[in-house]
This record gives sequence, C-alpha cells and structure tokens, in this order.
Amino acid sequence: MIDLDLDMDAGAAVIRLRGRLTMVNAAALRSAVTDALAAGRTRIVVDLSDCEFMDSSGLGAVIGGLKTARQAGGDLRIASLSPQVSTVLQLTNLDRVLRPYDTVAGALGGN
Amino acid sequence: MATEPGVSLTAAAEPASLDRVHALLETVWAAHEDVGPADRMSFAIAVTEIAGNIVAHSGSGRPLVFSLHVDVEPEELRAEFEDPGGRVDVDLSAVRMPDDLAESGRGLALALGCVDRLEYRREGETNHWRMVRRRADA
Repeated sequence: MIDLDLDMDAGAAVIRLRGRLTMVNAAALRSAVTDALAAGRTRIVVDLSDCEFMDSSGLGAVIGGLKTARQAGGDLRIASLSPQVSTVLQLTNLDRVLRPYDTVAGALGGN
Repeated sequence: MATEPGVSLTAAAEPASLDRVHALLETVWAAHEDVGPADRMSFAIAVTEIAGNIVAHSGSGRPLVFSLHVDVEPEELRAEFEDPGGRVDVDLSAVRMPDDLAESGRGLALALGCVDRLEYRREGETNHWRMVRRRADA
C-alpha cells in the first residue's frame, strides 16, 4: 500500500512516497526512477517523510535507483526519513552509501 | 507461560499479503498498547522480512498459503510462520549483509538484527519460522 508522486522541475525529480515501501510496490519506485531518468532528470530525491515503513525489498529498489541514476551520470538521494527507515538503513549499514538528508531542499541543494 | 491466545492469519503467499501482515500487527498493537515503539518497530521489521521471504521463495512459482501467529507476552514478542513450500536451504548462523550495492539478499540479515532469536526448521512437508524479541519495555 503506497502512493507515489513524481515531480520534475528543470534539473531534478522528487519522488514522494506515502505509505509502506515493500515488495508490494518496490517496482513502482524503480519505474519512477526510470521515468525521471528518461525525462532527463538525473538528480533524483526520494522524499520519505510520509513513508512509514520500508523493508529489504523497498531498500533494494532504492539501491537499484541509486545505481541507475549513477550510471546515467546523476545521483539519487533520500530525505526526511522516519525512525523506521533510519533504523533499516543503519542495520543494513547503508547509511554510508545512502547518506540521509534532513529535508528535500537539503537533498536538492547539497553536494 | 502463555497469557494471551495471540492473533493468527492465513494468507496466500503473494506480495499483497504483506499488507495483511501489517494489518495483523496493527491489530496486535491496538490490543497491547503497552508494547513500546522500539519493540513494535523491530518486531514488525523481522516479521515483514520473513513473510517476504516466504512469498518470494517458498512457492517456487506455485500458489501456496502460509499462516502467521503472533503472541505478546509480558517479557517477549513471538511470531511463528508455517508454510507448505519447499525446504528452505538456509544456515542462519552464516547469514551476512551482502555488498553495499546489492539489490537483494538483506532480508534475513535484517530480521536477525531485529529479534533475539530467529529459527527455521523443516517438519515433514512444512517450513516453520519462529522469532522472539525480548521486550525492551518489559
């Protein structure tokens, strides 16, 4: 159960997830990343402020998106993590690979 | 030792059933408001990962049904899964996180990080997964 919005401006895409990101809908995130890249947006931010739960399949989709974005010469960043998503990231040691940003604006503007 | 009958679910081993697993946990938490947020979160992660593992691997492409039973005790949370799928070839003592950029293979390692005990056993034609988390709030 998740809603997904894809907002694109001149240089970046923000994918906003609402609900739980699990194997039920991990493919939807992968598709959104593919769509953003196809539209020429290689800077992608996944806004997790309303993502209440992520499992390993959801995390795999985020990693897949990161790899795809990097292969296209861009980047994928995650912002506004809930405590649950932060915990999953720490337990999987992926907070080193996917550095969490406090806000979407920070992820869009950060280096 | 058991003080509560627990809550059970039987569902098809398909991705959509993960939402039913979450709904079951919400029912459990509503009945046990004393279970703290850290315990709820960690237990939910482990339960979701094992459910996901059953959905992804047990059926080998053929439909099957799994069951989940959850018990809340004063000092621990317990979940037990059963499914009639193929034997799971896993050594839980050897489970490690995969490479950073791997897109799968983290589920069991994540589950192990969230509970105090995770066991798999094969009995006859049935897979049994059992997990226990000692309550930090106990």
